[in-house]
Amino acid sequence: MRRGLLRYFVRRTAFAALLVLVVSSAAMLLADLAPGDAFSGFDLDPAVAAAERHRLGFDRPFVAQYGSWLGRAMRFDLGESVKYRRPVVELVAERSSKTALLGATALILATVVGIPAGIFTGSRRTLLTRATSAASLVILSVPSLVTSFGLLLLASRTGWLPVGGFSGGADGSFWLTTGRYLVLPAIALALPIAATLERLQSQALNDALADPSVRAAVARGCSERRIVWRHAFRLSLTTVLAIYGVIVGTVLSGSFAVEIVTSWPGLGALMFEALVARDLFLVAGCAAVGAMLLAGGILLSDIALAVADPRLEELA
Amino acid sequence: MIKPLLTVCLASLVLSIGCRSADAPATPASSSAPASGGDLVASVRSEPATYNRLLPNGQSAATELFTLLTQSRLARVNRVTDELEAWLAEAWTLGADGLTYTMTLRPDVKFSDGHPFTTDDVLFSFRVVYDPGVNSSLADAMKVNGAPIEVTARDARTLTLRFPEVFAPGLRMLDNLPILPKHRLEAAFAKGELAKAWSPSRPLSEIAGLGPFVLAEHVAGQRLVFTRNPHYFRRDAKGIQLPYLDRLTLAVTPDQNTEALRLEAAEVDLMMNADVRPQDHAAFKRLADQGKLRMMDVSVALDPDFLSFNLRPARAAQRRAPWMNLREFRQAISCGVDRQAIVNAVYLGAAVPIYGPITPGNKRWYSADAPSCPIDRDKARALLAGAGLTDRNGDGLVDDASGKPARFSIITHAGHLRERVSSVLQEQLRQLGIQVDVVALDPGGIAQRWQAGDYDAIYFGLQASATDPSLSPEFWYSAGSFHFWNPSQKSPATPWEQRIDELMREVATTPDLPQRQRAFAEVQKILGEELPSIYFVAARVSIATTARVLNPTPAPQIPQLLWSADTLARAR
Repeated sequence: MRRGLLRYFVRRTAFAALLVLVVSSAAMLLADLAPGDAFSGFDLDPAVAAAERHRLGFDRPFVAQYGSWLGRAMRFDLGESVKYRRPVVELVAERSSKTALLGATALILATVVGIPAGIFTGSRRTLLTRATSAASLVILSVPSLVTSFGLLLLASRTGWLPVGGFSGGADGSFWLTTGRYLVLPAIALALPIAATLERLQSQALNDALADPSVRAAVARGCSERRIVWRHAFRLSLTTVLAIYGVIVGTVLSGSFAVEIVTSWPGLGALMFEALVARDLFLVAGCAAVGAMLLAGGILLSDIALAVADPRLEELA
Repeated sequence: MIKPLLTVCLASLVLSIGCRSADAPATPASSSAPASGGDLVASVRSEPATYNRLLPNGQSAATELFTLLTQSRLARVNRVTDELEAWLAEAWTLGADGLTYTMTLRPDVKFSDGHPFTTDDVLFSFRVVYDPGVNSSLADAMKVNGAPIEVTARDARTLTLRFPEVFAPGLRMLDNLPILPKHRLEAAFAKGELAKAWSPSRPLSEIAGLGPFVLAEHVAGQRLVFTRNPHYFRRDAKGIQLPYLDRLTLAVTPDQNTEALRLEAAEVDLMMNADVRPQDHAAFKRLADQGKLRMMDVSVALDPDFLSFNLRPARAAQRRAPWMNLREFRQAISCGVDRQAIVNAVYLGAAVPIYGPITPGNKRWYSADAPSCPIDRDKARALLAGAGLTDRNGDGLVDDASGKPARFSIITHAGHLRERVSSVLQEQLRQLGIQVDVVALDPGGIAQRWQAGDYDAIYFGLQASATDPSLSPEFWYSAGSFHFWNPSQKSPATPWEQRIDELMREVATTPDLPQRQRAFAEVQKILGEELPSIYFVAARVSIATTARVLNPTPAPQIPQLLWSADTLARAR
């Protein structure tokens, strides 16, 4: 690897580490600022709650709690969940693989559908392309939450797919069962991303088709297929890849709602439980792992972009 | 290549629909007698954070359900008949002093790991619950007037339980306490590590219990699978070993809408919180008419929601809304609200108007003589005038003597039916000239505002652990930590609260039930007149299950069906 490219990746990795630190700290601070704490509730006697608060050190000022958490976090110890009385690392490890699986499947699905659809709508003007673009706009304007409910309702009425939940390995072959349970949340998550990619790709291809190099290819008499796939598509790819990192972030934030509605046992559902329970360390831990996945996604898209566009290396 | 693949996919789809139809039970479940075998799936919205009910974080509904399934207690309150039943104890007698119970345990009872159950386990469980180091959330519930019960063992099967004073509910209190296996937990308890002993990160084989089921698998965020406890002590009337089910799975489904859809699709057989929401009633009814679901009307709910005013002295000292402390103002609110409109608009008819904390569902303690005030807006306006609130400037809003409009906020539960009820209250009180701001928060936020005393009024609900009011002293006594409108008073702040304290002492210490009921009827009458908390409606509890569920004994409290999971069976 060339030195410029290496320096670029070192900088991006440092940025990723900073992102993880800032996101987890901010999540912890916001959870602390929200009214109530892990021991506020009508099901726990206030005296028992006060004793527990004191025993676990939650009656100390936030800065002191944050300081000791940060010290431990540097040694990859994210503290202990108040709700579960288990190490946060253990809890997030159980769930993050499910979120990663859901996110990766949704991304692949969205890319496989969204990019070709964008090429199709960006390269010609027919009734079908207009209908596809309109459908994308509709899908984009419907939140994943609503899509999830719609799909769950469909599953419930038809019996084609399980109505949410997850039962990997419980009843039959692991991958077959996982696949059955994965379809619904993956589609719910993938649909708005696919629509975004379709819109982006369509616009980028339109712009690329107006590029002088592509027009020169047209003038040389190249076939339409060659112009679109060989010339315009490669040019348009830079724009799409540049936004891909942000899309990875959308996958994670989108999966939060989808996981809860479809009972997918991932990080989003755990984070929701942690927020409801005001479980500070678990909130921070979930946010940290979420930020790691986000940072990883951005890094991957940066690598892809750097490979596709060597000018970035020069900028670094 | 694509076409054949598509054909195969479509064929599989058709086959899968065909199989699904064939799977649907055709015969009504109630026609079969329960028999051993089979499995059922229930949905739960959360999973237990600990497997030990006695720990401070063991008070969640999920841990309580886990405890019902895997542990047993000495005596059980039947949630349908409300009678006390011998459970691990086979019999008891009350001594002449009215304080000491002598109790005999069932013979030959074993824990799920085959270890014999003895009085040592009972002594150990009491030691754990009272240990200050454990800080058990059940400790207060197992005390009488703040003092513990003295428990001693005469031999391996005989116990004496000495109450610190005469306590009318007596052994009903034992319904709270699961008996833990001393041989499994004593070492951890001695080392001060009880909290770690039965945590979900420990091997499941470390857990043993006296309940009908054993936890065989717990996959975080997905499911808990219970299998039959081979050593469970109960048999049915025909001598068949209970539980009937071989397997019970709890499928974790955090979202309530998804939970309802899973029941509709028969992916789950019942819900832990089996109460049907008003908005699901029509869909469930349609499926019930098709024979796919079964619906049962249980009774009126026992724990209604209430609008409670902040009557703490610190709040009164701020003089933000001094009229709130006036009885006439609260009576005006009660008379000025059309309860039937709430029943119709929010509960879609599945509720009844009520006027006090004890609903008709609690047959033993409900008093029909408690004051009530069906909608009467003229009377409400007169009461407001009596509280010094009249429309002084003709803007349609009532003002106090200084010309300040009567305005207060209601904190309520975001995303819950309570939020909709609060909106109806807001609209109805506007017709009386009172401005209401509704602030929706999550339960943690509401609890924090309540504990800090930072609110005007709260529309919320509490779940009582028992039907007998003497088992909820923290709510009824002025010194109680959940005496909602003004908790933890050093001495009663008002004469009527002092009178309630006296009456509640009588309810708690008088052995004669009719006398207790009379005293408690007077408590309800006082509350109906003073209205520190106003009650508007109580939901009707109806339950839905798939037709596969056999032998259900639905109760109004959560978990409505799984409280007696050992007698649930699956239709063949």
